[in-house]
Amino acid sequence: MSTSSPSAQLPQNQPDRRQPDRQTSRWIWILFFLCAVAAIGLFFIPAFIIRPFRYQAPRALLLAMALRQRAPLGTLIAGVACFVLAFVLWRTAGRWRKALLVLALLVVTFSTIMAWQNYFEWMFHPIAGPQFLAQSESNLDPKEMILAVRFGSDDRAYPISQMAYHHVLNDVVGGVPIAVTY
Amino acid sequence: MNGRVLHFYLAGINNQNFLMRDKETGTWWQQITGKAIYGPLQGAALELVLSDELTFGEWRTESPTGQVLAPVTKYAKKYDINWEPDVAKLPVVISFPGSELKSRDVVIGLTIADAARAYPWETFAKQSPVLDRVNGTPLLLVLGPDGKSFRVFVSRIDNHDAEFFLQGDDTADAPAEKKAWTLLDATTASQWNFQGCATSGPAQGKCLDRVPALKDYWFDWRNYHPDTTVYKH
Repeated sequence: MSTSSPSAQLPQNQPDRRQPDRQTSRWIWILFFLCAVAAIGLFFIPAFIIRPFRYQAPRALLLAMALRQRAPLGTLIAGVACFVLAFVLWRTAGRWRKALLVLALLVVTFSTIMAWQNYFEWMFHPIAGPQFLAQSESNLDPKEMILAVRFGSDDRAYPISQMAYHHVLNDVVGGVPIAVTY
Repeated sequence: MNGRVLHFYLAGINNQNFLMRDKETGTWWQQITGKAIYGPLQGAALELVLSDELTFGEWRTESPTGQVLAPVTKYAKKYDINWEPDVAKLPVVISFPGSELKSRDVVIGLTIADAARAYPWETFAKQSPVLDRVNGTPLLLVLGPDGKSFRVFVSRIDNHDAEFFLQGDDTADAPAEKKAWTLLDATTASQWNFQGCATSGPAQGKCLDRVPALKDYWFDWRNYHPDTTVYKH
């Protein structure tokens, strides 16, 4: 029944209604802003701190790890909240505010996607299933440096030129799980 | 870790020593120390496995049935055969002014019961074999026959401290890999191979205990071993 709607029931209240609306909308904007800052910060702050060839201060590093640890879930929750809030704000927003919403949502989306990615592995791809050659089949130069481990009768060599790119390799040698790093 | 197998992946960098995380718990680990620095397993440490840094040629003669990690074709172009001089050119972000070494000086770092010592590579390569004592433990550091591989041993035979020397070759100017490589101990004059085992003489069949050691840049070693001493002679 249309008469149950407050606006239909109390048309005389319309000017008063606009005031709380503006108030509410301001709060929604603030909430949107906070959610956007949270999502963006969760990705960008650790990414900024953990830059290669930059000094990492101990406390900054702890902050970076703490944020990065929470980033996947945090950006997802904040990101979804941003979209819901933006949807609510959209109808009343002017052209500039709409542009602001779109821009913020783009950066929030980017941050959320990046928080679920490991871009260090884009730079240095991991070896998914390491393959091995008998030493007689290897083309390595005798002067090339390798990392070597031995467990019982199992001998393995990891060329440093390869490890310096991949950095980390999970392997099992003689039944012992090891992480080879360089 | 506590009976659980962890799988690691590259997760970041901490002053040019990388950080890895494990897929199972998400804990953050420092590469050089193997210590968990943040996350559910914080405070834990991975067990260091004895490993070698050798030339392929040296390893091949020692490990006739050994296996070599195959290059991944997709990334073969990214492998830098010339990694050593290339990495040496990269900038550093931490330095230790006042220490006698330069940031990118290569050292052999080792710890004996929490006492750390760094051996500048140049000094070591010139003097090899180096005899030293860290925290009461007599050590033998020796450069391999190829002039590039190195190993560190406890220089004790049957619980007695021992001295070692490389039998001089008259072609002193010859490159290291061309020189005859004969390691002898001063007590029994037995001959030892680069794996630390006596191959002839009274000590034949005996092997020295190994000491894990890391070839590293000075800045990195010093950063994670602030109390390290530096070998001088």
